[in-house]
Amino acid sequence: MSELHRSTPPRRPVTRRTVLRGMAGLGAVAATGGLVAACGGSTASAAPSIGPAPTLGPDTPTPSDAASGTPSAEPTPPPQPEGELYVYNWADYIGEDTIATFEDTYGIKVTYDFFDNMDTMLAKVGTGNSGYDVTFPASINVGPMLARNLLLPLDLAQLPNLVNLGAAWQDPAYDPGNKHSVPYMWWTTGVAYDTQKVAGTQTSWDLLWNPQWSGKMAMLDDYRECFSAALFRLGYDINTTDDAQLDAALAMLQEQKPLLRTYTTDDIGVLSTGDVWVMHAWGADVYQVTPDRPSVSYYLPSEGAVRGSDTMVLLNGAKHPVAAHLFINHMLDAQVAAANTNLIGYMGPNKAAEQYIDPAILADPTVNPSPETVATLQEILDLGADEVKYTDRWTKLRAGA
Amino acid sequence: MNSDRRRDAVLLAPGLGWLVLFFAVPLVMIFIVSLGSRDQYGGVVLDGLSARNYGRALEPDFLPTVLNSFKYALATTILSIAIAYPMAYYIARYGGRRKALLLVLVMLPFWTSWVIRTYAWMILLRDNGVVNSVLGTVGIGPFQMLNTDIAVIFGMTYGFLPFTILPLYVAIDRLDPALVHAARDLYASSRAAFIHVTLPLTMPGIVAAAILTFIPTMGDYVTPDLLGGAQTTTVAKVIQTLFMSSKDWPFGAALGFLMIVITIVGTVAGLRFLRREVIG
Repeated sequence: MSELHRSTPPRRPVTRRTVLRGMAGLGAVAATGGLVAACGGSTASAAPSIGPAPTLGPDTPTPSDAASGTPSAEPTPPPQPEGELYVYNWADYIGEDTIATFEDTYGIKVTYDFFDNMDTMLAKVGTGNSGYDVTFPASINVGPMLARNLLLPLDLAQLPNLVNLGAAWQDPAYDPGNKHSVPYMWWTTGVAYDTQKVAGTQTSWDLLWNPQWSGKMAMLDDYRECFSAALFRLGYDINTTDDAQLDAALAMLQEQKPLLRTYTTDDIGVLSTGDVWVMHAWGADVYQVTPDRPSVSYYLPSEGAVRGSDTMVLLNGAKHPVAAHLFINHMLDAQVAAANTNLIGYMGPNKAAEQYIDPAILADPTVNPSPETVATLQEILDLGADEVKYTDRWTKLRAGA
Repeated sequence: MNSDRRRDAVLLAPGLGWLVLFFAVPLVMIFIVSLGSRDQYGGVVLDGLSARNYGRALEPDFLPTVLNSFKYALATTILSIAIAYPMAYYIARYGGRRKALLLVLVMLPFWTSWVIRTYAWMILLRDNGVVNSVLGTVGIGPFQMLNTDIAVIFGMTYGFLPFTILPLYVAIDRLDPALVHAARDLYASSRAAFIHVTLPLTMPGIVAAAILTFIPTMGDYVTPDLLGGAQTTTVAKVIQTLFMSSKDWPFGAALGFLMIVITIVGTVAGLRFLRREVIG
């Protein structure tokens, strides 16, 4: 073994110290150079960005007109669809055969990926070249995505099925004229609870703050939803930007935290397994829980509840815009929309689809509250620069004891 | 000696290159981002660099999180070493011809994805899961095991055990059995021989195992996220919240950089101690 050892030490030893020193110097130079190049890059999609596309000025190129088809006086022939499509959506959020029917009808191969959290989707799509053509942001995200130049305008001429939407959805406030988005599903957020474990009829948000159910409750992992619950309970506007009101909401949520089991968007999962008896949940998800656990019931608290909607958008940088339009049009078809609703239990905005929807779903107030009830619900709105007030407090809440 | 230097340089180049490209460069980038601030949509703004985020990181709001991370890492390390030492001792001393097989068995769980194994723990520990069902047949009431500190510590111990066993195995294997025999010859009981001969001589292995277990557990995200609950927030989870939900990348970068610095300083101090006090 001794022949493997040197008899004399090397003349100029490469010690740990010299290596580290050299490495630090090299590293610093390389990093600063790389960083400056990345941030000073001209386009959101091309630069290897270090974060969501850094907001830039007028340098960013506008989306090409050829992709979406310029509306013009002469009738243009329908563009040829590409052979592939990449779609990015929530899990458990589409009909069983919807993709297969689309692939068979148009001969386009669809790659359908899932996300479990809106923030994950925004982070991925925010780089500008995620590889996806169509995705499903909530209505509140359409404005910010547009401002970050992540969306392409829709060519409404390629979406004849748009007329299927009721008048109420043809021109929503968050996206006038449906220029960049098409509504997909709408929903409510309230409280779900296991009637076998929790006795009595419940009507208030107070149930989620009741220490009797400590360790058996959960809240949605969505900061606007959590703050809305607290703000409703305090009697404030859920879109407030008043610091005092938000501090009160934060204090209320901090008071609740020791009682909670977890924060999660998988309300279907934790309710079905029985780990959680009282949950801040999306109404239509309860529809998917009841087959496994029929004792779970859902209500919209009397202090107020949230309604919202999800949309379909065409992403900037999409390589298959024509196929994407065909897909969105397919989703607007009355029977396809009904099939989606019949599986996942969410109500769509599609008036023409109502004749094909399972009557049990139409009659279920959890999934399809009456228009009078809907009128009392509030929408969460994007607050632009003031969102920071919520996110900073959310960080404090999650990091705290 | 020129050829020696050149040979050294060539041999070091790939490792050094990897270290610079994938560690040093990202580290400097993180540091620069941490000096920036976020814009309205969650992007990073780099004009007006300041150390403001480090001030925020040291606010008392974040102390429970840091203490949590530290607590889990420490508990996991101690538990891991307590379990790994006997296992490594057995494999090294009594493994015989089956040493290689036993070591492969130790590493075998790594052939399955980390996340899937953690999900398996969830199925075991749920309120209606396997463990509670078995206890239920004997009449012992369901215990909440998932979403607790215990679940996180057990899950991390299970996951990082191979990291602890291997350095300990190496240290114990290197120990010359003749030294233990000599101790016994000098009228030491087996317990005394262990305490005065084996343990001190394998201490470098124990320190190495401790470091190799402590560092990853400080930064583990998956296990506290899946097995932990609302109160088991670790620094890794807060950083994830900052990057994903709060979209405050500079602050997340500051927290991450702080963690790396603390870990490096702690490791260097640990190794220094190892060199001076233990090896001598």
